[in-house]
Amino acid sequence: MNDMTQSAFANPRVIGQRTPRVDGEYKLTGKAGYTGELHAENMLYGYPVPATIAHGELESLDLDEALAMPGVVEIFHHRNFPKLHRSPNSMGHGDQVSEVRLPFEDERIYYHGQYIALVVAETFEQARAAAYRVGARYRHAEGAVPSLLDSDAEGTLIDSAGSSRGDPESAFSGAEVQVDATYHIAAESHLQMEMHATLAEWRENGARLVVHESTQGVFYQRNAMARIFDLAQENLEVISHYIGSGFGNKLFMWPHAVATAGAARELGRPVKVVLPRQQDMTGGGNRPASRQRIRLGADREGRLSSVIHDSMTETSLVDQYIDACGSATPSFYACDNLSTSQRILPVNHGTPCPMRAPGEVSGIFALETAMDELAVELGMDPVELRLKNYAEQDPASGLPWSSKHLDECMKRAAKRFGWDQRDPGIGAMRDGDEIIGYGMATCTWFAGRQPCEARVELRADGTLFVACGTQDIGTGTYTIVAQTVAELTGVPLAQIEVKLGETSLPAGPLSGGSMATATTLPAVAAAARDALAALKEVATGSGGAFEGGEADSLSVADGAFNDGQRTVSFADVLETSRLASVNGQGSAAPGDEQNQYSFRSFGAHFVEVRYDPGISRVRVARVVSTMDIGRAINPPTARNQVEGGIVMGIGMGLFEKLDYDPRDARLVNGNVADYIVPVHADAPEIDVEMLDYPDFKFNEFGARGVGEIGLTGIAPAISNALYHATGKRHRDLPITIEALLAGQ
Amino acid sequence: MMDDSAHSQHSRESQQTLNFTLNGEAMTLEVAPNAVLLDVLREQLHLGGTKKGCDHGQCGACTVHVDGQAMNSCLRLAVMCEGQHVTTVEGLAHDGELHPVQQSFLECDAYQCGYCTSGQMMSASALLADGRIGRDDASVKEAMSGNICRCGAYKNILEAIQQARLAYDATAERGTAGRQEGAA
Repeated sequence: MNDMTQSAFANPRVIGQRTPRVDGEYKLTGKAGYTGELHAENMLYGYPVPATIAHGELESLDLDEALAMPGVVEIFHHRNFPKLHRSPNSMGHGDQVSEVRLPFEDERIYYHGQYIALVVAETFEQARAAAYRVGARYRHAEGAVPSLLDSDAEGTLIDSAGSSRGDPESAFSGAEVQVDATYHIAAESHLQMEMHATLAEWRENGARLVVHESTQGVFYQRNAMARIFDLAQENLEVISHYIGSGFGNKLFMWPHAVATAGAARELGRPVKVVLPRQQDMTGGGNRPASRQRIRLGADREGRLSSVIHDSMTETSLVDQYIDACGSATPSFYACDNLSTSQRILPVNHGTPCPMRAPGEVSGIFALETAMDELAVELGMDPVELRLKNYAEQDPASGLPWSSKHLDECMKRAAKRFGWDQRDPGIGAMRDGDEIIGYGMATCTWFAGRQPCEARVELRADGTLFVACGTQDIGTGTYTIVAQTVAELTGVPLAQIEVKLGETSLPAGPLSGGSMATATTLPAVAAAARDALAALKEVATGSGGAFEGGEADSLSVADGAFNDGQRTVSFADVLETSRLASVNGQGSAAPGDEQNQYSFRSFGAHFVEVRYDPGISRVRVARVVSTMDIGRAINPPTARNQVEGGIVMGIGMGLFEKLDYDPRDARLVNGNVADYIVPVHADAPEIDVEMLDYPDFKFNEFGARGVGEIGLTGIAPAISNALYHATGKRHRDLPITIEALLAGQ
Repeated sequence: MMDDSAHSQHSRESQQTLNFTLNGEAMTLEVAPNAVLLDVLREQLHLGGTKKGCDHGQCGACTVHVDGQAMNSCLRLAVMCEGQHVTTVEGLAHDGELHPVQQSFLECDAYQCGYCTSGQMMSASALLADGRIGRDDASVKEAMSGNICRCGAYKNILEAIQQARLAYDATAERGTAGRQEGAA
């Protein structure tokens, strides 16, 4: 694995080519089966009942009216729900969950929306109607913590999430130029379009559990459920063929899935639960609010002498979630003196979880806004300041980068954007009623790989079957897996069947961390090569199509072997030997390259905002970005990821805030209209360029992953552009109209 | 105990008979009086193409055509559809051939996870048949803003709609009725 420049994919024909999604027609005709629309024979419907307080105890439940309603089969709660075991919650052992506390463990209420009961009925309408008739009395407790943003508590220091080099405090106090600023980001909702959903079915008299779940990790959920229900993993199957995206909140299992499977076991019938949107937003994950203080020290020429990044993020009362804001900071700029620290503060919310570019996107907002503040202080162009502190190797590890072209990203994007037309004067650029602001920021996301297995069958009917227990959450995994086997075998895409999202398949990775592509494709390639080797043995063996030939002498093209004289299709090779198929297994894992290089993707965003001071309206008019992500396996789907990240970044910058009532910690805006996300009309003109520098040191495909990086750096580019337009520095997200109006 | 009492009239009442036309096929159903069209499609008829994203008329994922108009199926009781023509995403393609909007969504990669896609296409196909809506990008974006795509594929969706418009225009030039479903 040391040097993969001799990659089999150095000159690919299918890899890197525009390929329409192989699952596209299913999605476009309504045939793709997402969890919430699946059915099982004799299935019941569950509808959770959420707590209406955020802190206290459930004093009593009044179930009489609800139980008497038509179609109601049972109502589960803390007194009658089966006693289950908790998951060990280990990332290493693959049984991590989003919230360790089981549903209905006891009477304690830790957050608004926590499930206090699950109504199960014959129809959806009956379950919903009865859920609205469940009565509850509570004992309110004092001291609910509604938000980190309203609190001056110090929280708990997490040593493992901090880092240090040099003497940052001394370097800061002795610096010629200092920036010392504090930034706040509101809690956000993933608001993935498909709510969490579970369909649980016990088979073989309760010995075997089959679960359909909208999840980014079928294996993690299987393993966790095995621990919780005390089942052998082999007796549990988790299936997720189509996922209405996740953005991180479907990585690990939530309590609704345990409630659903528990109810199904008790009742001996399949149960389906689709979380109502409000419950998805209270108990289905959130990006925690953060407070970050950044201190930068520099000399008059703009060389950084100190970076100090102190962060605090929310966690819940029932779990410990760390949204490590400073994790990219040590690798960002060449600076000898640096420290990061991380604190967490328990609040009365459902447990936070990773949300697209977790931690880093928040940290990059603070760091890249602070860098803009430093540029203003120095009277220096922000691009120049960044180039001056360019990290030629990874300052965190001292290792060389596998492949870094951030300087090229900045220069190329600046040129396309027209950055040289920027008049740096505040409010100096106008168009009619609007003031134009130009801002920029850089972005990064780590490149990681996980172990993975895959299987490929070559079949006598001319088709190819490829299987891996990862998922396609909308990034296009189905398609790039098909491209990979098409590349290696020459079998046309139309004859390739890709199976993902089942624990009965070879173990595949989480669809998260932008790691699925770099993790999955090497294993798929290994399996394809293994299948080809098996078929060559058949072909050259006794009675084979190339009997007596040398396996090594057979070349592969267009789904056929050629020995220099004859071409025989895989199908005919199999038929000749009376075989239905051959099977290839493959596995792949990160290797020694991890000790030799540092792997990250990079990019630069340039943003034009337009601000109308008459009505205090800001809009993002234009985003020009250049990304250094290694090779894009399927350029349109990769670009789509970056563009989508940019749109989400506009939400983070200008709109998105989970609003918790400061009096009682209840979520105020738990719906899709009051929690504002970008719509069509908010989408700016977007111009994304992807540099094509395959990173063969990372894997033979040269791909680093692209799901998260587009989001990072957008919010600071917006806030920096707004500063340019208005002269007002916005350090808190989202930048609301109230913030724009304040102090005018 | 829940905040909203909108569902207080629950299903003690007996089932109601609903006669309507779905994707060109006349049908008679027994539905609960409190059943909304979206749930009848998904749970009773097992037509899962119409998606539930909020159940509150806020996200657009459940958009269908009712007598040719794009509507949120989560905001209509099923019984309100008596005598009406309802078209879902399953009714867009004909004879195995994708509708122009479906074809352009495929070609422009106008989706990611695919969950909002049915609603986007139903709004898009209604928009393209609606002469009151301008042809320029800004008008299309405004008209489509009831359909949220959290994956943020807006740029490609806009491109797909404008590409599909060419097929609509070509159909109109040929003077044929085309395949403008829903208004049948």
